[in-house]
Amino acid sequence: MRILIVEDEQTLLESLQSHFTEAGFTVDAAKDGEEGLFAGLEYPLDVAVIDLGLPKLPGLDVIRKLRGARKSYPILVLTARDRWQDKVEGLQAGADDYVAKPFHFEEVLARVQALLRRAGGWASPTLSCGPIVLDTRTQSVVVNSAPVELTTFEYRILEHLMLRAGEVISKSELTERLYDQDFERDSNVIEVFIGRLRRKLDPQDQLKPIETLRGRGYRFALARDPA
Amino acid sequence: MPLILFFGVTILVLDSSFRDVSARALRDLLDAQMVALIASAEPQEDGVVAPVGRALEARLETPGSGLYAQIRLARSDNGWRSPSATGVFINFGVPLAPGLKRYHEDLLPDGSRVAILSRGISFEEERGGRQGLTFSVATSLNAYEQQLWSFRQRLFGWFLGLTLLLLATLGIVLRSVLAPVRRLESEINAVEEGERESLGEGYPRELTGVTANLNALLAGERKRVARYRDTLGNLAHSLKTPLAVMRSALSAERSKGDMTANGGVLDGEIDRMTTIIEHQLKRAAATGGALLGQAPVDVVAIAADLRGALLKVYGNKDLSIETAVTSDAQFVGDRADLTEVLGNLLDNACKWCRGRVRITAGADTQRPSRQRLRIAVEDDGPGISDSDRTRVFERGVRADEHVPGYGLGLAMVRDTVDLYGGTLTMSRSTLGGACITMFLPGR
Repeated sequence: MRILIVEDEQTLLESLQSHFTEAGFTVDAAKDGEEGLFAGLEYPLDVAVIDLGLPKLPGLDVIRKLRGARKSYPILVLTARDRWQDKVEGLQAGADDYVAKPFHFEEVLARVQALLRRAGGWASPTLSCGPIVLDTRTQSVVVNSAPVELTTFEYRILEHLMLRAGEVISKSELTERLYDQDFERDSNVIEVFIGRLRRKLDPQDQLKPIETLRGRGYRFALARDPA
Repeated sequence: MPLILFFGVTILVLDSSFRDVSARALRDLLDAQMVALIASAEPQEDGVVAPVGRALEARLETPGSGLYAQIRLARSDNGWRSPSATGVFINFGVPLAPGLKRYHEDLLPDGSRVAILSRGISFEEERGGRQGLTFSVATSLNAYEQQLWSFRQRLFGWFLGLTLLLLATLGIVLRSVLAPVRRLESEINAVEEGERESLGEGYPRELTGVTANLNALLAGERKRVARYRDTLGNLAHSLKTPLAVMRSALSAERSKGDMTANGGVLDGEIDRMTTIIEHQLKRAAATGGALLGQAPVDVVAIAADLRGALLKVYGNKDLSIETAVTSDAQFVGDRADLTEVLGNLLDNACKWCRGRVRITAGADTQRPSRQRLRIAVEDDGPGISDSDRTRVFERGVRADEHVPGYGLGLAMVRDTVDLYGGTLTMSRSTLGGACITMFLPGR
């Protein structure tokens, strides 16, 4: 999952950055409104966390401009101004949720994950597709009630595919969202990880959870369980 | 009223002086007739004294002419009566001693009045004796009364016309003089009702001082409240950001595993400071009253805004928020205050409900304007137990002692409602959960 964090307080930005990286996100950081708007428009993001009191361009304007440019990924607002009027304004500008400062990182993470699930059409924090169940809170995967050990990278690819189960996701999209911009891109790496995932989730090759669509990408093929 | 008094007195004075003048004219006329009668009187053979020759006025010769005369002997009832008095019964009165004079009025059987002047005269007879005679002249008062009547009519007519004219002029003058004051009054009303922000231009010089000062006062008050709010907002912001930094530093230590016991204490203190900042600053920012020149707040719009916001925030809950807000639901007060109160109540309802939240609002015209706006927020959650009910809203409960789960929200709601002089009650909703009803200033 690729996340953009826009926050002008250096210490907070760094802390959020390291926490989100630890939680398995690919993080883009920006320290003012203009930088944030640029990143928000240019990078293939899954979610953005934006502080409202930003230098150069206020957070509300950043959100409005992103929505104006038809960017539809979920946006979480961080704000120290938490009167309802401010909240309503932020949500009307196009944000999807807010967290008041000072926050516990756990809460921000939970809200971001909830937004991501919601964007993928999931209501609960556990994504279950038949025998395969992924818990976004504990970052654990269970196949036929037996836990499966995944590396962070494997988990991230699986989460990405399962969040949007049924949709085709291209190889380049997966690469972009899982690496940050400095990483050297090599699509073969994705193929290797997909291969490993298939072996771990489906050793007998019966479930066939991940489909390869030649030239188009991958699709998580198992149907979602009704909520 | 003084005008009517003035005209009344004037009419009375004019009327009485006219009457005096006419009465004197009448006497003069009678005197002249008397002199003529005495001058022309000669004793006759039969001992009666009567006027002779054509010296008499024609009216004395014409019956019923209105002018009558009588000459009466003191010794007998005999005498002379003018031909005009034929058939007219006039009481000329008892004979007078020589040298006496009398004036009296008499009512004739036909209802008309006559004025009678009589004079006693001692007449020298040819035989050398003297005899007392009483000369009387009478004139009908009809003409006189008619004259008086028409004079009065004219007098009243003129004065009535004059009064109306004066009143009309006075009214017009007063209106034009008071027009700017009336305009000022209606504009101040409009400002109070929130229909306009300030007073207009174009007042006469005498009033511009007042209007300019009022406008400055209104603008200043609005600016002052805005700046106060800004300052509080900035204060909250600048206090919370370092707290956020402290917290993130703490959690970085925790993740590194070198969290000491002090870390936990610090974390708790950060929580406490946060709640205090929220509670105190929000409470300070609530105005608790309508500013002059501020339009009443439309509850429909605020409910719709909050509904949209909360549906977004609680997007992963299968939630329906029904709004039954009528357009007469108008809040007289500050928009931010109402948004805060409603936002907190709805947030709580959304948090605790199973799936349904309802907000109803309308004007309750039976109530005084201080409590005319009724707003109720209900949910289908577990509701609030009786023992918690009092505690949840309890004033004086310290910021860090609030009922867990209900947050500071409800205490803040209670404070704001109190500030506006409203009331707040809690009951069980027909939906199954809590129902919180507020009465706030409306119109």
